[in-house]
This record gives sequence, C-alpha cells and structure tokens, in this order.
Amino acid sequence: MALELQNVSHTYQPNTPFSAVALDNISLSIEDRDLLALIGHTGSGKSTLAQHLNGLMKPTSGRVLFNGKDINEDASRLRELRFQVGLVFQYPEYQLFEETVEKDIAFGPRNMGLSDEEIKSRVLGAMDLVGLNPEEIGQKSPFELSGGQMRRVALAGVLAMRPKVLVLDEPTAGLDPRARSFLLSDIKRLHREGTTVVMISHSMDDVAALATRIAVMDHGSLAMTGTPAEIFAQPQRLIQMGLNVPQVSLLAGRLIAAGLPVKPCFRMEEMADQLAELLKGGDGDVA
Amino acid sequence: MLRDITLGQYYPVDSPIHRLDPRTKIVLTIVYIVAVFFGKGLLGYLPTLLFLLLIIKLSGVPFTMMLKSLRPLRILLIFTFVLNLFFISSGEVLFRWRFIQITKDGLSHALRFSLRLIFLVLGTSLMTLTTPPVALTDGLESLCSPLKKIGFPAHEMAMMMTIALRFIPTLIEEADKIMKAQSARGADFSSGSVTSRARAMIPLLVPLFISAFRRAGDLAFAMEARCYRGGEGRTRLHILKFRKGDAVAFVITGLLIPVTIFAGRLL
Ligand SMILES: Nc1ncnc2c1ncn2[C@@H]1O[C@H](COP(=O)(O)OP(=O)(O)OP(=O)(O)O)[C@@H](O)[C@H]1O
Ligand SMILES: [Mg+2]
Repeated sequence: MALELQNVSHTYQPNTPFSAVALDNISLSIEDRDLLALIGHTGSGKSTLAQHLNGLMKPTSGRVLFNGKDINEDASRLRELRFQVGLVFQYPEYQLFEETVEKDIAFGPRNMGLSDEEIKSRVLGAMDLVGLNPEEIGQKSPFELSGGQMRRVALAGVLAMRPKVLVLDEPTAGLDPRARSFLLSDIKRLHREGTTVVMISHSMDDVAALATRIAVMDHGSLAMTGTPAEIFAQPQRLIQMGLNVPQVSLLAGRLIAAGLPVKPCFRMEEMADQLAELLKGGDGDVA
Repeated sequence: MLRDITLGQYYPVDSPIHRLDPRTKIVLTIVYIVAVFFGKGLLGYLPTLLFLLLIIKLSGVPFTMMLKSLRPLRILLIFTFVLNLFFISSGEVLFRWRFIQITKDGLSHALRFSLRLIFLVLGTSLMTLTTPPVALTDGLESLCSPLKKIGFPAHEMAMMMTIALRFIPTLIEEADKIMKAQSARGADFSSGSVTSRARAMIPLLVPLFISAFRRAGDLAFAMEARCYRGGEGRTRLHILKFRKGDAVAFVITGLLIPVTIFAGRLL
C-alpha cells in the first residue's frame, strides 16, 4: 500500500472567524499501481487532500502514512518524501522561473543532490516522457512557450524526480483538446510503466478513460470509493453531489431506456463494441 | 505559513465602532494619537488606557486579536524599553550592579515610551480592524478632496491604495502557492546560510513578479473595459454619511486631549 490516510481532518485558519473545515475525517488508501481519480464539486476539498499526500499541509487531526510510516512524524524527512510523492499543482505553469526549459526541469533533480550527468539524463528522459523535443525547446525560455507546452514543462519538472507516486491536480484544466489528449496519454503511459497516480479531475470522460479506482468527495468528506463501474452505476447520487456520469454512460442509459439490448458501460471502446455488434446483427468481431 | 500575517486585517463583526463613518475614524485616530503624545507621567496615560479599553470592548474585536497586532513590534518594544532603562543616567539611582545602573528617570522613560508605542499601535490597528479597507480609502479620498483644488490627486491616490490593499491578500496567497509548488520540487526556504537562503528566494520571486505584472495588466484592461476614466464625474455606490454615533464619538474623543493634559498636571 503506497499511501494511506487515516481519519484525516483539516481546518483552515482554525479559531478565527474565517475558519473552514476542508477535510472531515477522511480515511482512504491508495494501493501501489492504482490510478486513483479524485472527483468532487468545486470546494469539496480535493486540492487540500492532494497537499496532504506529500506533507505540504499537515492534518489538523489524523495521520498520513507512506509505506506504513507517518510522514509528519519526522519533519526532516519530509523533503525526501516529496521526491517520492511528486505533486503537480493546478496551473503549474505559473511556477516556472528558470532561464531555460532544461534548467527549470533540472530544479527538482538538482535539489535531490544528483550528479550533473544524472541530472542531464533525467531532464532528457522527462522531456521525452511528456513529448517535448529537447533540441527544439530545451534552451528556450519557458516564458516563450504556449500554455500547453508550459504545462508539460512543469509536469516534466516533477517527473524528472522519478516519483513513485504522482499526484496531479486538474492537469488538463484550460488546455485545448489536442494538448489535453497528449497529456492524458502521457499519464496513461506513466501509469502503465508502474507509477502510482492520483489524478484530480472535473471531467468524467477523462476519469472514465483512465481511472482504475475513483474516490468521490463531497463537502470535505469522502462520499464514495470504488471502481469506475461501481461509481458510475449510481448516476443519481453523483448528480445530487453536483457531478455527473460520463457521456458514454448517459448514452447507454438512453439506449437501454429506448429498449435496446445494451449493457451499462462507461468507456468509449466498450460502447463502440456493443453498438457494432448490435448493428451487425450479432456476428463478427469488431475492434 | 504566510497567511498568518494580520497586516491591516479587517475583523468582520457588527459593532457601534464598525458602524462609524470611516472619516470619523480617521480623524479621531489622529486626535487619539495627539492625545497619546500629550500624556505626561504615568497618570497622564490613564485616560488613554481607559479610552482604549472602552473602544476595544465596544468594537467586539477579541483582545487576543489586538495583542497579535503587537507581535511584529515586539523587538522594537524590547529595544525601546531596554535602551531607555539602561542608558538614561540622570535622576535617583534605584539599582546598581558593576557598570549597570537603573535610575528613576530611566525607568519612567522606558515605561512611558513603550506604553506610548503600544497605545499607538493598538489604536491604529483598531481603526483597520473595524473598517473595511475600501471604506478607509473612500474616507481618505473624501477627506483629501478639498486638496484637489491645489492639484493634489486625491482620487488617484485613493484608487491606488484601494488596489494595493485589495491585492495584498491575493499576493500573499499566490506566494504561498508558489512556495508550496517549489517545495514540492524540494526547494528549501528555511535552512542554510544567508546567501543560500537568499538564492532560494529566486524560484519564489520570479514567478511572483511575473504573476503580479500579469495581474496588473489584466486589471488595467478590466477597468478600461468598464469605462474607468479617473475620478472626474464619478458617482458612488456607498455614499458616506455622518450619523448620531459619529457626533458622540467626536465628543468623547475630543474630550480625551483636555482630560489627558489635566491628568498629566495632577502628578
Ligand atoms: N487557504 C484557505 N483558507 C481558507 N479556506 C480555504 C483555503 N483554501 C481552501 N479553502 C476552503 O476549503 C475548501 C476546500 O478547498 P479546495 O481548494 O481543497 O477545494 P477543491 O475541491 O480543490 O475545489 P476546486 O475544484 O475548485 O479546485 C473550500 O471550501 C475552500 O473555500
Ligand atoms: Mg482544487
């Protein structure tokens, strides 16, 4: 088990008139090689939760365990933990600061105290992972790039630390469709290659396409956890919490209501297969 | 971390002090400051102390919140006290040990100056704690508007202050966020030598400046898009009005100066 939250609560600005409970007694475990999607309405506490995973925020009560050890027990080990649990903030492009893209990506590895050679190879590796061409933009200033490219530079800056767990806060917010599908396939690849991923998202379609497990937050508490099939089978509850189901689930629902022999599903490929089979009259294998 | 700064923070409750006109509060804060400077001898501070306690009680601001506004000044306070205590050598000697001596004059100076400082800070923080920043700048603009005749840019100054005040929390929040994002990449802001700490600020300051400039540009466009053209002929949503409470406040605070002077004479 990679990360585990035990009864974690967090109150912002406690004992003031501004105090706000952002997390309320959350217990959640994130297994190795999970791709956990964290969904919930705006202000439900997702970003707050994400910042507890690498010790940037401390629980007001409760514990956060990484490989079975309380991460807040020894504050001097926190920095090391952050190299293993990489966190990419929402709109991470606003944290770029170096003169060149390569130097910016090297910031994390340099803080780890690696050798120059190792840093260089990690920077190139990370750029490759997110589909940036080192020759083309490695020496450019990060501020000359497009928003989507900046986002990938920021992501590469975290990947270059080779974290075991990658936490992404709304990685696709504000990107155009192409940049978005690039980024999603990057995430998919990282997950396939063995990284545990926690992804916050407002897009049910993205969640349906990628997640192996889903956690639903509602007003600071954990409302549901389960596989995508389990979660998306309860559209009423999701809608009540200001969320929705993927387009494909809606389509399946309508087709079923119209009397077609379709099984409920949430992935595009699954739906396509079912429909193809139906239209062809039951024979033939369609890819 | 950075969020704990209470610089000019407004404390949102309803109280007779909150309801006063901002102009009243600005003028009376000045009157109060003058009164503090008129205080002679420890007895001379008694009226100010009672006045301050009364206002704090009326304002509904918890006393702990008031004390917090003194925290940034604690070093200065200790300095003032210690310097006056040990380095004034006139007057009756109260205590002597080797080269250290404390005199009666030194002690009373030390107490007076520290008290004066505490009173000034508490009084002025009370103004900012009970007045929303925007009301404060409205009040200032209104008070300064007679000076427009001699070319003083009262409206522009007030607008600049409003914007600056409005963006302090935003920038603090932004700094907090960038700091966290860089910490997530292993940046270390709190240990190491002075130079390495200064260098550690670069990853924080560069993005912060860029975002401040971007925000300034955006804001300028947004203001122009809503036809902002300066103060000329601009009407207000909230019109400042003096009420009965303001008259009462003027009378009570106005009495503070003569009473302070009188109390000082009694000694
Ligand atoms: N610094 C803060 N001080 C006080 N309250 C805060 C602070 N940050 C967040 N909150 C409050 O905590 C709650 C959870 O915020 P959080 O940012 O975790 O939500 P979120 O689920 O990430 O929302 P979004 O989808 O909009 O990103 C919100 O109600 C918010 O108002
Ligand atoms: Mg968020």
